[in-house]
Amino acid sequence: MARYGMALDYKNCINCKACEVACKEENGVLLGADKHRIWVGANDVDGEWPLLDIVSATFMPSQCQHCDDAPCQSVCPTNATYYDENSVVRVDPDKCILCSYCMNACPYDARYVDDRTMTVDKCNFCSDTRVARGETTTACQNTCPTKVRTFGDLDDPESEISELLRTREHFSLKAHLGTKPKLYYLT
Amino acid sequence: MQVEVSRRRFLQGSVAMSVVGGASVGVTNLLAGHGEEKGELSVTTKTGTSKATEVATLCEMCVNKCAALARVEDGIVTKLNPNPLFPKSKNMLCPRGNAGIQALYDPDRLKSPMIRVGEKGEGKFKKVSWAEAYDAILNGTDKFPGMGKILEEEQDNRSSFLFCAGEGMAEHTFKTFYSAFGSSNWLNHASLCLQTVVSGYGVTLGGYPESDLENAEYIIMAGANRAEAIVTPDTMDIFKRTKGRGAKLICIDPRFTNTAAKADKWLAINPGTDLAFVLALTFVVIKEELYNKEYVAKHVNGFDKYKINILDNNYTPEWAEKITGIQAKDIYQIARDFMAHAPKAIYYPGRRSTFSNNDFQLRRAMAIFQGLSGGIDTKGGLVFGSKLKLDPHEGLEPIYERAKARAVNKVERTKGQVGYSDCAVVSGGGSWVGWRNRYLENKMPYKVRGMFIYKHNPMMNMPNSAKTAQMFKRMDLVVAIDTMPSDSVMYADVVLPECHYLERTDPVKTFGGIEPSIAQRNKVLEPMFDTKPVIEIMGGLTQKISKPLFDISKKYDADIRDELANLNGKTAKEREAEVYEEFNLHKPFEHSQEYINQQMVQGTYGKDAVKSLRDNGVFYPDMDKYFKKLSGNEHQYYPEKHKSYTVNGGRAKTNTNKVECYLPNLTKKGVDSMPMWHEQYLFTVPEGKFRLLTGRHAQFTQSGTANNIMLRDLMHENYIWINRRVAKKRNIEFGDMIEVSSKVGKTTLRAYPTEKIGPNTVFFVHGFGEESEALTWAYKNGGNDNAVIEDIIEPVYGASSMHETNVEIRKV
Ligand code: SF4
Ligand code: SF4
Ligand code: SF4
Repeated sequence: MARYGMALDYKNCINCKACEVACKEENGVLLGADKHRIWVGANDVDGEWPLLDIVSATFMPSQCQHCDDAPCQSVCPTNATYYDENSVVRVDPDKCILCSYCMNACPYDARYVDDRTMTVDKCNFCSDTRVARGETTTACQNTCPTKVRTFGDLDDPESEISELLRTREHFSLKAHLGTKPKLYYLT
Repeated sequence: MQVEVSRRRFLQGSVAMSVVGGASVGVTNLLAGHGEEKGELSVTTKTGTSKATEVATLCEMCVNKCAALARVEDGIVTKLNPNPLFPKSKNMLCPRGNAGIQALYDPDRLKSPMIRVGEKGEGKFKKVSWAEAYDAILNGTDKFPGMGKILEEEQDNRSSFLFCAGEGMAEHTFKTFYSAFGSSNWLNHASLCLQTVVSGYGVTLGGYPESDLENAEYIIMAGANRAEAIVTPDTMDIFKRTKGRGAKLICIDPRFTNTAAKADKWLAINPGTDLAFVLALTFVVIKEELYNKEYVAKHVNGFDKYKINILDNNYTPEWAEKITGIQAKDIYQIARDFMAHAPKAIYYPGRRSTFSNNDFQLRRAMAIFQGLSGGIDTKGGLVFGSKLKLDPHEGLEPIYERAKARAVNKVERTKGQVGYSDCAVVSGGGSWVGWRNRYLENKMPYKVRGMFIYKHNPMMNMPNSAKTAQMFKRMDLVVAIDTMPSDSVMYADVVLPECHYLERTDPVKTFGGIEPSIAQRNKVLEPMFDTKPVIEIMGGLTQKISKPLFDISKKYDADIRDELANLNGKTAKEREAEVYEEFNLHKPFEHSQEYINQQMVQGTYGKDAVKSLRDNGVFYPDMDKYFKKLSGNEHQYYPEKHKSYTVNGGRAKTNTNKVECYLPNLTKKGVDSMPMWHEQYLFTVPEGKFRLLTGRHAQFTQSGTANNIMLRDLMHENYIWINRRVAKKRNIEFGDMIEVSSKVGKTTLRAYPTEKIGPNTVFFVHGFGEESEALTWAYKNGGNDNAVIEDIIEPVYGASSMHETNVEIRKV
């Protein structure tokens, strides 16, 4: 039993997309540019060449926020979306009826359709692959060249993530929505 | 070619599979999304929770050779994970490294030896056995002559064969064959890649240095793009420290790259004018006496001359502003800041192809500028690091009396003595474009009639592909060793399929640096289909050709005849056997790679090192003591006091141990003895035209990964960057098809209007637009830069200047 979360040192991100490929290979995510559990938000830079605003070109690595108060979970009519014993927001392929309410409810656009299992799927913190094997990092954390991510147990005060959240300032995405994400962006 | 076995067949088994038709529409990825999909079904596998084996290997999706752990379930590689033990790759695999699985299971892989049955370049082949392929190389077919006939006709001039190779760990094995064969025509990728940067630093600092980006406080990255062109450990080290976290990064580039996005300051520069920028920085530090005077007095040679050169030529920031487009005030500021942070300041050397004709002098100027700061062979600056030695293994370098010297110009010289007619210095890797053009212009001193290509794609990798095609067509015998049916393979007479990098053990390699180590690529799976590692290919081939070729030498080689005549009290037969041993091409390939690797390691480091390389992929002395996991993300490889920051007393590694500003020897060859500016270096583009820039990005490696279906999810094709305002004027919108044309050719690709590029330049990444129909995904996907780039070579090493071409663009 743990309460899993993730801290992101997002300023390290170079938008290389290693995390996207690692996630697909680890978790058997379908091929196709629209099938992914993880992505990097990047805007086209503001300004006119050669006067461009570097700050507007920030890369925002993102995935399911594993909200403590997840809108996708509350709208799911079949309880296919549920919290597992580690507080990870999961989807049960047997219960999912592809109604796609969750896709619309998610403020972070975290979900996609897996055409093979016929499930509206998303990041599950590698719960049925790496974490099930007892590994302590997710595929996206492990492969990242600049080590953006730290995954761990928020309830364990000794964990690296707890330490990071104690010592570094951080924010959540769309915090005003009250979804209480368990992804923390370190500043 | 027909795809014989689809990937699904390999993946049958208990491992969970996902199968999908390739239909893809980009939603979140701007650059993924155009075009109909085609081709085979593809799969990804989900890793299982039951027992799996892990094999330590090295990635070969690019040149970095990151350490990987291949997870194997039921005989299938289901995942490639980073191997934390390797100091150079520091526990990471980039997107390409992760997508190595898709290269392994690519249905388009070369699967068996083939010989040409159609016209040259047509791509019509017949599948044959290895024995038949070797026989065709020696004896030819009705379509092409064999080696025997060629060498007979050329009277044993071994140099009538050209050998060329791309970068890779087995390049060493291929080169062993080249040496034994006795040709003097060797070309590698250097003149299409980093020749001028390596040589510029080499002659100035005595070696191409590494950058200590873990400790530098101020970094100028000009014309290098570490966020996209990933180099280990640089990429990992620097971007954890930028944006106010210890390292200030100044990015100088005509384009707003991902590196620019991570920088503190980005300054757009006119293409090809970096030299003026460095000269002006140098002017400021000399004029304002900001340089490290003690260091310069002790460790820099020819400074007085260089100082006069800089001051008398008035290389002021105001002068440079007009040339570079960078404001004088920024140049003053950067020069001052750099020296304030020295010696923990780095003018990043970079590692890329030659962009402009002044690239060699640019590198010299950068190296000298670094020298003036004293930031050499010291923590936080440029460092040489140390390297763990490997024992040699047995090769063979016979001397053939009839083998002519390198085909470099009309003057016949003996082997070893060389000089070009088209550039000043002949490097080991040669000038590819210079060589090709001389060949086409009939300027060779003798006939070169055959070529061996290993893991090299000249059709895609060098400017003016039309000329490369002509060269291939003229060659009597082309033998290609590769894993994929590339554009160049299409021009082969005999195709020898190499197995994938996960299917072979390659020569063990030592990696120098601040934290040196030795690493080994271990075989993960047995080779699929009828493919083999290069060492076995060379073994089989040499067994077939060695004796028949020796018989030809016996006829023409006076030295061999003399040796045979001198019986030394033996029978003629015994004597011949003895002499043949010196010419037995098979000799270097008698042992397995595993055995050779052991020979190279065991003597110095013992049995445990051999075992560590096999089990862990990595070895360095005291690794068991030094290596520590510090956190989920970080590891210690060496304790601070054992890191090789300073190995030469803070000095350069030249013969004099000084930084060399002034090299009068160069003048004899018509090259400036000191970096200086010339009018012809000015950046100009005729009205209505654009300067074409090319480059890299993080998701593909040149043309080598163009058929990788996973990477296509990340970037579907290449797009031409056009300034948004210019595009608007020309009614060009995102996704419109654009024809790009130059004096030498045309290519077509889609438009990406953006403010990340200036109004008189356009850019697209290299490696797309292959013409080989055997590549399902890469075929005619995007545009090929080398169809358009003119074959201009820089004067010092004959390296191809990639950014000297002006193009026209037209919406089609
Ligand atoms: S792997 Fe790391 S650096 Fe690369 S895109 Fe993902 S988070 Fe960013
Ligand atoms: S935690 Fe696992 S499932 Fe989630 S994005 Fe990362 S790799 Fe994918
Ligand atoms: S940088 Fe990427 S492609 Fe290159 S060796 Fe490393 S993981 Fe492989």
